[in-house]
Amino acid sequence: MLAFLQAALDGLMIGGVYAVISIGLTLVFGVMGIINFAQAEFLMLGMFVAYFAWAWLGLDPLIAAPAAFVIVGALGLAVQTLLLRRVMRAPPVAQVFLTVSLLIVLQNAALLAFGSSFRSVITPYQSSALRLGPLYLSLPYLAAFAASVASGLALWLFLQRSWFGRAMRATAQDPFAAQLVGINTQAMHRLAFAIGVGLTAFGGAVILPYLTVYPTVGEQFVVLMFTVVVLGGLGSVLGAIAGGFSVGLIQSISGLFLPVQLQNLVLFVVFIAVLSLRPEGLLGARR
Amino acid sequence: MAILRSAAKTLKPTRRHALGVLGGTMAAPYVLRSAQAAETVSIGVVLPLSGANAQFGVNSRNGIELVADQINKAGGIKALGGAKIELVVADATSTPTTAATVAQRLVTQNRVTAILGAFVSSLTIAISEVTERRDIPLLTMSFADQITGRGFKNIFQVVAKASVIGAAQFEDTVAIAQAAGTKLERVAIMYEDTAYGTSQAVGLRNGAKKTGVQIVMDEAYPLGITDVTPLINKLRAANAQAVFPVSYLNDSLQIIRVMRQQGIGIPAIGGAAGYVIPDFEKGLGEYAEGILSISPSNYDLAPDLTKAFRERYNYFMVHEAFEHAVCLEVLVQAIEKTGKTDPAALRDVLHGTRFEGGWTRGMTGGAVQFDETGLNTLSVPLMVQWRNKELVTVWPENIAKAKPIWKA
Amino acid sequence: MNGRSWRVVVAAGILVVALCLPLGLDPQGYAIRIFTLIFLFAAMAQSWNIVGGLANQMSLGHAAFFGIGAYTSTLLLIRMGISPWLGMAAGALLGGMVAALLSLPTMRLSGHYFALATLAFGEVMRVLANTWASVTGGPGGISVPFGQDSWWMLSFKSTRPHYYLTLGALISVTAVFVAIQRSAFGYRLRAVRENIAAAEVVGVDSARTKILAATISGALIAALGTLYAQLTFFFDPDTVFGIAPISIRVALIAILGGVGVAIGPIIGALVIIPLEEAANFAFSAQAAGLSALVYGLLLVTIIFVEPRGLVALAGLRKRWRSS
Repeated sequence: MLAFLQAALDGLMIGGVYAVISIGLTLVFGVMGIINFAQAEFLMLGMFVAYFAWAWLGLDPLIAAPAAFVIVGALGLAVQTLLLRRVMRAPPVAQVFLTVSLLIVLQNAALLAFGSSFRSVITPYQSSALRLGPLYLSLPYLAAFAASVASGLALWLFLQRSWFGRAMRATAQDPFAAQLVGINTQAMHRLAFAIGVGLTAFGGAVILPYLTVYPTVGEQFVVLMFTVVVLGGLGSVLGAIAGGFSVGLIQSISGLFLPVQLQNLVLFVVFIAVLSLRPEGLLGARR
Repeated sequence: MAILRSAAKTLKPTRRHALGVLGGTMAAPYVLRSAQAAETVSIGVVLPLSGANAQFGVNSRNGIELVADQINKAGGIKALGGAKIELVVADATSTPTTAATVAQRLVTQNRVTAILGAFVSSLTIAISEVTERRDIPLLTMSFADQITGRGFKNIFQVVAKASVIGAAQFEDTVAIAQAAGTKLERVAIMYEDTAYGTSQAVGLRNGAKKTGVQIVMDEAYPLGITDVTPLINKLRAANAQAVFPVSYLNDSLQIIRVMRQQGIGIPAIGGAAGYVIPDFEKGLGEYAEGILSISPSNYDLAPDLTKAFRERYNYFMVHEAFEHAVCLEVLVQAIEKTGKTDPAALRDVLHGTRFEGGWTRGMTGGAVQFDETGLNTLSVPLMVQWRNKELVTVWPENIAKAKPIWKA
Repeated sequence: MNGRSWRVVVAAGILVVALCLPLGLDPQGYAIRIFTLIFLFAAMAQSWNIVGGLANQMSLGHAAFFGIGAYTSTLLLIRMGISPWLGMAAGALLGGMVAALLSLPTMRLSGHYFALATLAFGEVMRVLANTWASVTGGPGGISVPFGQDSWWMLSFKSTRPHYYLTLGALISVTAVFVAIQRSAFGYRLRAVRENIAAAEVVGVDSARTKILAATISGALIAALGTLYAQLTFFFDPDTVFGIAPISIRVALIAILGGVGVAIGPIIGALVIIPLEEAANFAFSAQAAGLSALVYGLLLVTIIFVEPRGLVALAGLRKRWRSS
């Protein structure tokens, strides 16, 4: 029972992290209809931004996270304007091709620019945990979870309350109708992409304290991110959050009675099952 | 017109002239070839220079380049008239098929004399399928058991096998603990699930069987694991006295940190790779102090040689860099001995010689000697410990530079 | 000469060149290996093209069937000494069955959802192969044993026989593709692709159509897995079940060339494989990552210039599409 509670707690914490790094992916898909295979590379870039903020300025990655959001978001804006717009009307296969090529470019540009070393930050809390009775609550996980919740909330407020947010949702729902009421859908696409990759970068920054950054770190998260968003429902921000928690819990609890090596196997089987029974995911709208 | 006719008259060759020219033309290739031979010897270097293992590929290349430059500065390969070493470096990428194609290219297009590489066992094995069929020597420090287990004639491995390294990781630890007054009875092993971790785990299990120690936890985990808490939770529940993790860097740091978080103070004895690179210490700071690991070799066995690496590249000579340096040294010694770059001759010399001197001094036994399977039988894994940001050899006792500290 | 017979003449001419080419090349050399890989990957992309182009189901998990083929024939060879030809048949059978089985839960999925489901399935197979070490040899991989040259055992020291084998495979798979494209089955696939509701109304069993396409595609690429194993002699789960080296690469080749047309995968492979090699050759000795970066930038440029693939660029799309 205790082991179960601990696993549930860990799963929830890591689930929050998975959620924040995946929200960006679902936002991009919802508004632009593009599956961005290079999304995890923006995670890597966010981690690098946070790393250098720590190495050069002594900033804790959690404090540098908003900077990662802004800097990588700006890069995302450039990428969207220069590259992605071109394939918006192209068949989905072309979009896949472009984002996969972008993945290769970003990864190797990072390798060239930053070198192949594995870089790690040292923060005062990264090797500590809180005790809640017999349970352990890892501090870096807690910090990442808190940051994720905060950013998720901020995004939700943005989408619900601000004009831009509502315009983006309108574009996602029905681009033609949105244009009719005067929304510049092109600008909305740009904004969605920038915010999307920015959020993923933010997520990267908050997980840096307990991970290492190197040019190919994104690869560890690609399939995970996609599982999260599809499970939750492509295009639904709340879905990404629900998906994130689900994935975290499934991974953690399956580790109790299965070899750790198979934690992703369970995840994928659940994933395929959900897709076959409810293709739009847990919270996605039936199209 | 007249000019041409008079020019033709003056240029009309005599028979002697013609013979001279003909003889010269026939001799030219030989002249050119020996002039060529005095020029360069091409040696192929195939390493992962992109992808997840790029760092190790770069380290290895640095080691090879250091030795090549040293040899060239000292006058090149004497037996070939001072021929300089020309390294033909290529990226193996992370896909074995590409590594094999690249090796093929080096053999056919660049006509390399031999190939050094490729750090990752699966890449090395793929390359060896090419080099074996083309009869070109391949020298490596990859250590999966399969590499020397297929009866190939053209493969030469300068370090011990994975199962031997794993067994040593275990048995040496038991010995160190015993010397400190602790009898190990319950231990845990955890390993990343590529060929490296899996084959070394086999060695660990053999070591446990031999020393009669019980393994209370035996878990593989996916290489790119992003959350080690399920693993550490299991470790805590297993109640082990020591843990043997076999990891790369991303996982090694997570494991040590989460162990700290949960207050699990048992000794962790690493399986090389992620535990013996500078980034490990940089990532853990004070928590790296005292951590033990097995290693196929260590730089402090020949500090006079390895400090040249540190001076040039600003970090200590990691074991893959050193072992690749030894590969090149051995190859060059073989070329010096045969006086030619003919692969068959090199192969025979590589099999039959005890290589001493130069960089081989830093290997255990102070020399390198390959048996008929291509394995260097003199290489014995050693235990290193992090002391003050440096890796110090602490076991076996006859080569240790310091006594091991066992933090029970 | 009208357009049709002109095309036949050109194709025949290219075929003659392809057949004679190896005679001028080093049989164990680099160039012949490149061509062999081009043919093999073109054939793989062509099998993908059956679902990705004709059925418009973008699969990112074809490595699952490819790996099944490679492992089946190699395990039968190692454990029971069975000829890889028979192993290939067994692998194709198994690959086809698994593809059919996979189409059931993914039936109602389209576009991105289908792509991601197949991606997940490919990963499932890879993890299984990795953990089921007692059968597959686990992450250490398995080797095809060294043997005497033999056509029955598909074992050769030189690459030249593999060149002809993969060329033959490419021609066969392309023939299957064209046959499907022109048949009634092809019409049904097109109907399902264009408008599934309308297709069902006129009596097309869309479920059966999709499953059949998947089965054929899976069986073909599984058979190619055997050829791959016999060519490279060694592979591990990451190599044959891998997302990047197989699944995405195969899709990329077909997409680059142009999906849905027979010549697309061929053009794609003729461009991508040499491009990778050229980038590696020119740049990999310099800074780490440079060759891969150049390769990625070239890919981006190509798709940027013509998102519909090289076939569209050459204006060949219309001429090769129909009939």
